[in-house]
Amino acid sequence: MTNTIDNFSNNVFINCPFDSDYIGLLRPLLFTIIYLGYNPRIASERSDSGEIRFQKICKLIEQSKISIHDLSRVRSTKKNEFYRLNMPFELGVDFGCRLFKSGQAKQKKCLILGKERYKYQIALSDISGSDIKSHSDNAEKIILQTRNWFVENEINHAVSSTKIWESFNEFMADFYQKRKKEGFKKKDLKCLPTREYIQFIKDWLIEHNLQ
Amino acid sequence: MTKKVRTSNSKRVHIISRKQDWAVKKEGTSRASKIYSNKYTAIKSAEKLRSTGHDVVVHKKDGTIQEWKKSKK
Repeated sequence: MTNTIDNFSNNVFINCPFDSDYIGLLRPLLFTIIYLGYNPRIASERSDSGEIRFQKICKLIEQSKISIHDLSRVRSTKKNEFYRLNMPFELGVDFGCRLFKSGQAKQKKCLILGKERYKYQIALSDISGSDIKSHSDNAEKIILQTRNWFVENEINHAVSSTKIWESFNEFMADFYQKRKKEGFKKKDLKCLPTREYIQFIKDWLIEHNLQ
Repeated sequence: MTKKVRTSNSKRVHIISRKQDWAVKKEGTSRASKIYSNKYTAIKSAEKLRSTGHDVVVHKKDGTIQEWKKSKK
């Protein structure tokens, strides 16, 4: 994976939770970004214990023209549980980078995703003027929203989201079959490092002449 | 160096979520062969393709694999 700022135009910073509950949305999101020819950048792409997490996130934000912020998991789900504030915090850092940094940071664009479209303004009224796309916690819909956002904001044309969704399902079949042959169990696949998963997508798209 | 290009596996049929419905799609074809409102019916309809040498891959709503039914041929 290239970590240089040279890829600024192609880098897409992903701000999302990293728990098993979100993996069902993260997989199709990563697949769509790579399918469209972009390079996902995510805090879990490397885990050098010597690197301070917040500094790493700032670097990723600075190196990425595009950011995708998913606020769908900010809400507490149990009694006495706190809001999860990392995602709105990183969204703020990204907005700040765009506002206060000069040079290529002025080209920055972002897609804000949520489970429902208008819920987040209640807790985060500062973004009430921002367009939030809803994925309804659905893998097919996160592909649709992401693909459409890229066409509206970055590229003029892309294959349909149905085609990406079908390719993603075929990819998952190959991913499962190949890894199973290599001795991976279901539990291994559930916690596969993001970097390995990204590389598998890239290789698969090349193999299938889709890149 | 020549790039190794792999075509789709035409001996696989996928049961894929399609909005509120379930699609039966042969790999390598551009369109789903049939759409069903019920997943069970979609799986049942694809079952006959197993005797023609197709694996039936049943996907969950998130695209992961629920079940892999091997070809009967």
